[in-house]
Amino acid sequence: MSREILRVAGLTCRFGGLMAVDGLDLTLRAGDLAGLIGPNGAGKTTVFNLLTGRVGATEGAVSFQGQAVLGLKSHQINRLGMGRTFQNIRLFGELSVLSNVLVGFHGRLEASFLSAIFRLPAYRREERRVLARAAELLELVGLQDLARERAGSLAYGQQRLLEIARALATGPSLLLLDEPAAGMNPQETANLAGLVRRLRDDMGLTVLLIEHDMRFVMSLCEHITVLDYGKVIARGTPEEVRGDPAVIQAYLGAGLELGQGEAVHA
Amino acid sequence: MSLREIFSPGPLPPAHLTRRRDFWLSLMGIMLLAGLLMGVERLAGGYWVHMTCLAGIYLVLASGYNLVNGVTGQFSLAPNAFVACGAYVTSLLTMAPAEKALNFILEPLVWPLSVIHLPLGLALVIAGLVTALMAFGMGFTVFRVRGDYLAIVTLGLGEVIRVVANNAQGVTNGPLGLKGIPHLTNNLWWTWGLAVVALFVLTRLAKSSYGLALKAIREDEGAAESMGINVFWHKMLAFTTDAFLEGMAGGLLAQLITTISPSLFTFFLTFNLLIIIVVGGLGSMTGAALAALLITFGGEWLRVVEEPMSLLGLSVPGIPGMRMVIFSLLLMACMIFMRRGLLGKSEFSWRWLLAVLSRRGPRP
Repeated sequence: MSREILRVAGLTCRFGGLMAVDGLDLTLRAGDLAGLIGPNGAGKTTVFNLLTGRVGATEGAVSFQGQAVLGLKSHQINRLGMGRTFQNIRLFGELSVLSNVLVGFHGRLEASFLSAIFRLPAYRREERRVLARAAELLELVGLQDLARERAGSLAYGQQRLLEIARALATGPSLLLLDEPAAGMNPQETANLAGLVRRLRDDMGLTVLLIEHDMRFVMSLCEHITVLDYGKVIARGTPEEVRGDPAVIQAYLGAGLELGQGEAVHA
Repeated sequence: MSLREIFSPGPLPPAHLTRRRDFWLSLMGIMLLAGLLMGVERLAGGYWVHMTCLAGIYLVLASGYNLVNGVTGQFSLAPNAFVACGAYVTSLLTMAPAEKALNFILEPLVWPLSVIHLPLGLALVIAGLVTALMAFGMGFTVFRVRGDYLAIVTLGLGEVIRVVANNAQGVTNGPLGLKGIPHLTNNLWWTWGLAVVALFVLTRLAKSSYGLALKAIREDEGAAESMGINVFWHKMLAFTTDAFLEGMAGGLLAQLITTISPSLFTFFLTFNLLIIIVVGGLGSMTGAALAALLITFGGEWLRVVEEPMSLLGLSVPGIPGMRMVIFSLLLMACMIFMRRGLLGKSEFSWRWLLAVLSRRGPRP
C-alpha cells in the first residue's frame, strides 16, 4: 500500500444556516485517481475551496503530506504541492498562453527581485529552465502551437487544458481538477481522460476530480466519493457506487418522485 | 483600439532573436536623447529647460504610478502623498541650515533636520527610501481592501499626508511651505537620468517573472493566489517600488520649482497622473512615458489657441482657458477612438517599430 498523501477528517463548513460540507472524511494515497461526485449544490467545489484554503472551515482537520493545512493561505498550500483548476475558468485572460503557464512557476522562483530586474546570470539560468519546462507542459496538454495567443481567446476546451498546464507548473503532487471536462465535446473528453491517466501513470501525480460527466468519471476514477447536501452518501469503486441505492435516490429523487429530480448525465 | 492595433504589422519575431540588435537600438536611442537634451540646454531658453525637466519628472511619476494601477491593477490614489514626502525630505536635507532658519519663523525646525546639509544625490536616495518606507507602512492598511475601497483608502491617506504637512509646523513649516530650495543648474541631467533609469527598471520589471505575477494579480487575484503567488507581498512590492521612484521624482520636482507648500500636493496631482496613465494605456510603461511627454508639452503647445488670431479675415480675441476646453475635447476623442490608450497593455518595442516601418517601405 502506498503512502497516505491527504487525510480529511470531519471537515465541516457552514455558511450561516447552510451546511455546505458536513463532516467529510476522505483519505487519498499517493497515486490515487479519485473522483468526487454529487448533484448540483452538493458541496463538491466547497470541498476544493476548503482544501486549498480559499474558504475557512468551521470544523475538522486536513492533513496534506503529514502537515496540517487548515488555516494556511492559498499560496502556502499551493507551495506544499496542492495544485488546482477552477470550475468557472479563471485564467489570466489578457496574458498569453505561455505567460499563464509561466505564472505557475513564479511561486517557486528562487531568483530575487533585483536579480530579475538586472537579469543577472542566476535569473537568466532559471528563466531558461522555466521556459523549457513551460514548453514541455504546453506540449503535454497539446497547446504548443498556441503559446503566443491570448489565453482569453482560446476555445473553451483549450482553456480547460491550459488551466491544467498552469496548475502543473506549480509543481503539485496532488492535483484537484474541478469539472475538467465541462464544455468539452466527446473527442476532447476522451483526450482529457488520456491526459489525466498519463499525469498519474507517468508523472506520479495523485488526482482528485469533480465531474458531472458520469461516463468520464466511471471509466477514469478508481475510487469515487459521492456527496449530497454536504454529506458523504456513498464511496467505493465505480461499480459499487453505480449500484448504490442512496446514490440513485440522490440523483433521481425518491422512487415515487422519479422524473422530478435531476437528470443523470450517463 | 490602440496605436499598437492601428499599426499592427502582424506577428513579430520572437524577442530573444533580436535582443542584441534591440540593445544597440536602445543605446542609440539614449544617445539621441542625450543629444536632444544637450541641444535644449545650449540653444533653448530657460523656459524650455524647465518644461523638459517637468516632462522628465512626470515621466517618472506616471510610469511608477502605472506599476501599481496599470500592471498590478490596484486602483491607488496615493501618489500625491509619495511626491509630497519625497519633495519635503529632499528639500529639508539639501537646504542650507541658514536658509532653513530663515524659513521657519513661526516654530524652529526640529533638531537633526535643522543642521543636516547633504548633497542632492544622497538626499534623493534617502527621500526614495523614506517614501518607500512610508508606502510599506501604508500598505498594511491599504491592501486589506480591494477595488473601490482601495481607491477610497488611498485617497484618504493622500489627504492625511497633506494635512500632516499643513500642521507639522516644526518639520514642514506648515502652510508657509519651504522657500529657497537650491535650484540646480544641471537639473536636466538629473531628471532625465532618473527618467531613463526608472523606465529601464520598470520595463525590465514588467517583463520579468515578477511582472508576470503582478499582471496575474490584476487579471484574477484569487487564481494568482491559488498558483502559489503571495498576493499581499507582491502588491506591496509594486507599491513600495512605485513609492521609491515617486519619492525621488518628488525631490527633483522640489529642486525644479524651488518653493513647495502642502497646497501643491493635492488630489489634482494624482488626477493628472491618472489621466496620463489612462491615455498612455493602463499597464504599458512605455505608453505612460509617451503620454507624460505628450501631455506636459501638449499643454504648452495648446497655448496657441488662447492667443488672439485671425481666421478667414475674422479676428478672434484670445480666450483665456480655451486650452483646457480643447484639451478636454482631445481627451474625450482619445477615450472614444483609443479606448485602451495609446499603447493598450503592450509595450513599445523596436521589433514593432521596425516591422511597421518596413511594411511601409518598398517590398522586395
